[in-house]
Amino acid sequence: MNVEISEVTRRFGRTQAVAGVSLEAGPGVFGLLGPNGAGKTTLLRMMATVIPATSGRVRLLGRDPGAYGPRREIRRRLGYLPQNLGYYPGFTVAEFVEYFALLKEMPPSRVPKAVATAIERVDLGDRAKAKLRSLSGGMLRRAGIAQAIVNQPELLLLDEPTAGLDPEQRVAFRALLRDLGERSTVIVSTHLVEDVGAACGQVALMEAGKVVFHGTPEELIARGEGTGAAGDAPLERGYSAVLAAARSARAAA
Amino acid sequence: MASAEVGHRAARTFGAAPQGTARLLRVNLRRNSMPWILLLIAALFWFDSYRPSIATSPLYGMRTFWNLGQGHTIIDFGPFVAGVAAWMGSREGRRGLGDLVTTTARPRWAAQLATWAATTIWAVAAYLVFVCVMFAAYARQGVGGSPPWWWVAVGATAVAAFSAAGFALGAYWPSRFAAAVAAFGGFVAMALSSRTGFSHTSGWALILPTNSNGSFDGSVQADSGIFYPWLPDLPIVRIMFLAGIAVAALGLTGLPARAGGPWLRRAAVAVTLAGVALAGTGIELATTAKVAANGIVIPALHDAANDAPLAYRPVCGHAAGVPLCLNPAYARWMPNLTTALAPVLLEVRGLAGAPVRATQVPASYPSGNGGPPQVITLGGQPPVLRLSLGLVNLPGPCGFCSGPVVSKAFANQVRLMFAHAFAGAGSGRGTQAQQAVQAAMLRVAGLPFAAQPRLIANTEDFLASGPRPQPAPSSANGPVYAAAARLAGLSAAARHAWLASHLAALRAGRLALKDLP
Repeated sequence: MNVEISEVTRRFGRTQAVAGVSLEAGPGVFGLLGPNGAGKTTLLRMMATVIPATSGRVRLLGRDPGAYGPRREIRRRLGYLPQNLGYYPGFTVAEFVEYFALLKEMPPSRVPKAVATAIERVDLGDRAKAKLRSLSGGMLRRAGIAQAIVNQPELLLLDEPTAGLDPEQRVAFRALLRDLGERSTVIVSTHLVEDVGAACGQVALMEAGKVVFHGTPEELIARGEGTGAAGDAPLERGYSAVLAAARSARAAA
Repeated sequence: MASAEVGHRAARTFGAAPQGTARLLRVNLRRNSMPWILLLIAALFWFDSYRPSIATSPLYGMRTFWNLGQGHTIIDFGPFVAGVAAWMGSREGRRGLGDLVTTTARPRWAAQLATWAATTIWAVAAYLVFVCVMFAAYARQGVGGSPPWWWVAVGATAVAAFSAAGFALGAYWPSRFAAAVAAFGGFVAMALSSRTGFSHTSGWALILPTNSNGSFDGSVQADSGIFYPWLPDLPIVRIMFLAGIAVAALGLTGLPARAGGPWLRRAAVAVTLAGVALAGTGIELATTAKVAANGIVIPALHDAANDAPLAYRPVCGHAAGVPLCLNPAYARWMPNLTTALAPVLLEVRGLAGAPVRATQVPASYPSGNGGPPQVITLGGQPPVLRLSLGLVNLPGPCGFCSGPVVSKAFANQVRLMFAHAFAGAGSGRGTQAQQAVQAAMLRVAGLPFAAQPRLIANTEDFLASGPRPQPAPSSANGPVYAAAARLAGLSAAARHAWLASHLAALRAGRLALKDLP
């Protein structure tokens, strides 16, 4: 398993953002669903080694991210797209991706080809020399994805990757996700259930810092059948049904 | 988006880390904010460092007194460099890239150091280019002497220190205001350095980068780079101090938990402490500074080889038949000197105590130590006239005077100092008889008695570093000038004969006014 998380919690002062989450994920695309404030981004940041867990056990790519040496090894094999992507406006797309390839300690001889490949894969080849300040929001998002995949990561963490992408790009991105998931573990945090349905083999649904559902998209669809839950698509109805059940249980407790 | 085969990870190869660092540096060099500010610095450098310097005598010691001695090149660069470095140091935080950079394998401190290095390379390279262009302009203008490269190194290190301090501020305070605060802080630091430096000729304050009390003398120009090498002692301790600040500031950026692993952070602590120790050692060494004839000496660092005079081939001319030899750096003033000395040398030609030749000697540092220095002395057997031209304002642009030095004023000053030396008046004003002979010689050389008190006052004012032992004469009246008038009124042959018979007694101070004809 590339991701092994057991009873992980994370507190920010009095706020418990993640409350006893356990997850396992191997190669494939894993969807992390949930409403705003459910704790998806915090969980992803812990998996990205940005912040440590307050309690619980985390193992990534078979290593303990709490120790510096293994953490560095994890980071060499990690790709991360944060929810709010920062960027240097004066950098070109190619320089931005190259910069992160170098920060990821890729062998320098491999960097130019890897940068070109990553940029091509997000369909920004014709804008490789464009300054980031000149790009649209969707193009910036794709530049962010390019930096995340430039090192061919074994663990790829994407926080709201399709935000700002147009429908055509979103469809293309899902294909890329499926492709990446064939040999890597790709964890996609999103609130767009259609992304999950189209690309993910496994899905977890978070609510109030807890995982309230873990299974396949088909299983999530099944949870919504006959419940009369709100939603235009089967997956949305499953999502709504699970959330409603979780909220009822929480209210009852 | 295109699908592509995901390849296997390549094994990390030996030597990849330096190559990766070099590429990272290249990206940072290409996308750095420092070049944008260089045009402004260039304009300021021209206005504040170069332009005032060309109004001084064409000697490196004089030309660089303002811009390197008083640190104006550093003042022009420092605050701006600190501001831009703070801008670059705060870049990650301002742009919201902290999380993303943290998740990469390369320690954040290493990434920050690459950004700092690129910023500093731009700044230091620009500093060196600007100074070299200035020196090239000096060379075209025929400036005499040799450039003070050690002081250039001090300036370059100061630029790096400002860059490091500004960068550390930006890294710790990733705000859009960090750049302005760093620039203002740099300006205040320079202002305080200047305020303290100019008034302290010794002690810890010698470490300050704008303190000209070193090989640069604020009141007169020593002959560093002309007769002696520029002493590296004080520059070395200033480099230690400034490099220490830079190292400590960079070490500080490696202390936060996100900077890297435990070993790296321990290294950052060690680097910070090493920087503090280096700066402290520099200050400690500066307090041991001693003044020598050729500049400031730091005993622990001093290399006696630097005390050896520079070899040179003198440039020679003649004044009233007396050979006059100068250091080639002063060759342009040969006509002024021969014109100035000719009338007074003619007056004493053939006398037993008259100089048989004249030669330039180095000005002694510091000026005025133990009384006003003598620019012209006469001694030896046969007598040789020795000229310390580094102590006087030479004809032409003067820089920090009220205006350019005109040849006539220079000639009168030289004649006064010659007559003073010839009469044996020493470092004081001399006996009344000696003063009378001096006045008579000046009168014969064409300077009316009425103009002499002012000339004496101006010359003493210029040469004396402290209060004068006795007030300058206010007018050309009294017994001294009466005796001088009598001596000047004699025929040339009669004066010559009188001087021949009384010169030894006059110089020994045994003559009174009544002994004059």
